[in-house]
Amino acid sequence: MSDSDGGNGLDRREFLKISGVASAVVGGTGLGLFGYAAGKDPQTYLGWQNEEGASEIVDHGKYEVDKPTYEKVGPTSRPDARVENIFSRRGRFMRQYRRMQTGAEMEDEVLAAYYEDHPEDLELDRLMMEEIYPKLRADMEKYGEQYLLAVAWSDAMFAVGPDRVDGPPDVADFPRPDRMGRVPEKARMKDPARTSELIKKVAHECGSTLVGIARLNPDWVYKHPLQGRGFENPDDELAIPEHWEFAVVVGTPMSWDPMYANPNYGTSSDAYARSRVIATRVAAFIKALGYPARTHIPGNSYDLMVPPIAIDAGMGEQGRHGVMITPELGCNIRPAVITTSLPMQTDKPIDFGVQDFCRYCKVCAENCPSGAIPFGDKEEVRGYRRYKIDTSKCVNFWNSNLGSMGCRICIAVCPYTRKANWLHKLALKLSANDPTGVSERALTGMHKALYEGPDPQDYYIPSLGGKNASYRKPPWWLRTEDFIDLG
Amino acid sequence: MQIFNSGFFWFAEGILFCVMVLGMRAVARDRSIPLTWWKWLAFGVWVLLAGFTVAFVGTSVGEGEPTAAVRGGLMFGFVAIVAAVVLWRVWMIGAPSRTTEKVAES
Repeated sequence: MSDSDGGNGLDRREFLKISGVASAVVGGTGLGLFGYAAGKDPQTYLGWQNEEGASEIVDHGKYEVDKPTYEKVGPTSRPDARVENIFSRRGRFMRQYRRMQTGAEMEDEVLAAYYEDHPEDLELDRLMMEEIYPKLRADMEKYGEQYLLAVAWSDAMFAVGPDRVDGPPDVADFPRPDRMGRVPEKARMKDPARTSELIKKVAHECGSTLVGIARLNPDWVYKHPLQGRGFENPDDELAIPEHWEFAVVVGTPMSWDPMYANPNYGTSSDAYARSRVIATRVAAFIKALGYPARTHIPGNSYDLMVPPIAIDAGMGEQGRHGVMITPELGCNIRPAVITTSLPMQTDKPIDFGVQDFCRYCKVCAENCPSGAIPFGDKEEVRGYRRYKIDTSKCVNFWNSNLGSMGCRICIAVCPYTRKANWLHKLALKLSANDPTGVSERALTGMHKALYEGPDPQDYYIPSLGGKNASYRKPPWWLRTEDFIDLG
Repeated sequence: MQIFNSGFFWFAEGILFCVMVLGMRAVARDRSIPLTWWKWLAFGVWVLLAGFTVAFVGTSVGEGEPTAAVRGGLMFGFVAIVAAVVLWRVWMIGAPSRTTEKVAES
């Protein structure tokens, strides 16, 4: 075929022009289908598809820094879990509230002292008992049935779990005699770096999506232990045992589709249950090597705050919503910790641009129905500068939901909590590697324009002025009305 | 769907891209458009932008984000169309105008 073959059929140039147009159409269609496949692919829901570390798709080494991205700005102190851990305080308050209903005075001195300094928290704690619970009860009667499958899924995931730690550290942490009555001696580990590799491999084999190791910072250990952790008197100060030298942090994500359908269809139970089983297995492995180990696991069976330890272990950074953001899973991770003296090489903290991103983004604050997430700057909390979350407002909202209880909207809306496909990996690379901040602003703007959610007020139950809204539609297998006749 | 994760898919896309380049070259010769490296660079950038737009729409539909697919498709699509017009004008730099050609022919 020549450039012009004198009218004998198509000339070469015409043929190339038509082929070019056809190639553009076919190639474009191919790219569209590639995108569809990437968006649909369940393999990009990290942490549920595979184990053995296959989900660690980001090279943390590129983002390693010497210090974590939170700042120490003053004298530090340990958190008083009795009142600063919202679940512990609410438990104490509920006991006192029942007493106070009979006309008696508040007899819990610790709680009374806390409320004297934080009267706004007393107001919010009372609000839960006096307004939220009665209204929730009424709405559950009306609308609760619709969330039956979500509740059933949550209950099923939490049905299996290890026993809680049943004694103080000097007893419960140490290896127990085997069936021959022998207590395992400390194995002579060859090299801390190899031991780290071993423990991480074991954690992955146990099902952990991400694993990190840090030296335990005493500032993260509760000043007083929580109840149910085997301490004789939870009001006594918790003396940090010498063998809590290292912290192994494990973590798994919540199932992705229900997580996007928060607050009504999601649950924390799935990831909680997986993480606590993994932590218990890793602790058992360490004890079998003759070293002490103690688990700190969901729900609320901790002697310490987990997220800052995970940040120290290089798993992620703290976001505006107070939740740790990882490069792999965004903030869709539920971690657990094992404290031990097994000598290991620790991981370095990472900086992949979260602090800059969160300064501009504020998507979580804009979508938070309770107003618990600040729009403003970081504040000093026990000597560290961080975004301060109003946990009372937060928990009041997630106690007011139908479904399996909880909120997690900040996790669902966070731009980092996205599937691990080409599009979101590209966005992550841009934001992590652009020192100018231009891409962060552009990505934030695009996220807000493209991934709109309901009005925050609509997330509330109708009795509290909302519409039972969810961020995204539930997955097909949690739509109760498709399986069960609703009355 | 596994085919879209395969090396064969990108090999096929590469071939289609080459054919597109040959087609553009034929168009350029037809119209006596002088071709330079920066014109090809602009063409490459535009292909990336158009490809991104199509893949973005597909990905958003696959993710169950129809609003993002529509809004993103319109937004990036508009940019791609404007860029196509700009690209065409860039390509035409140095080309004889139609009037000149007609005069020459007559």
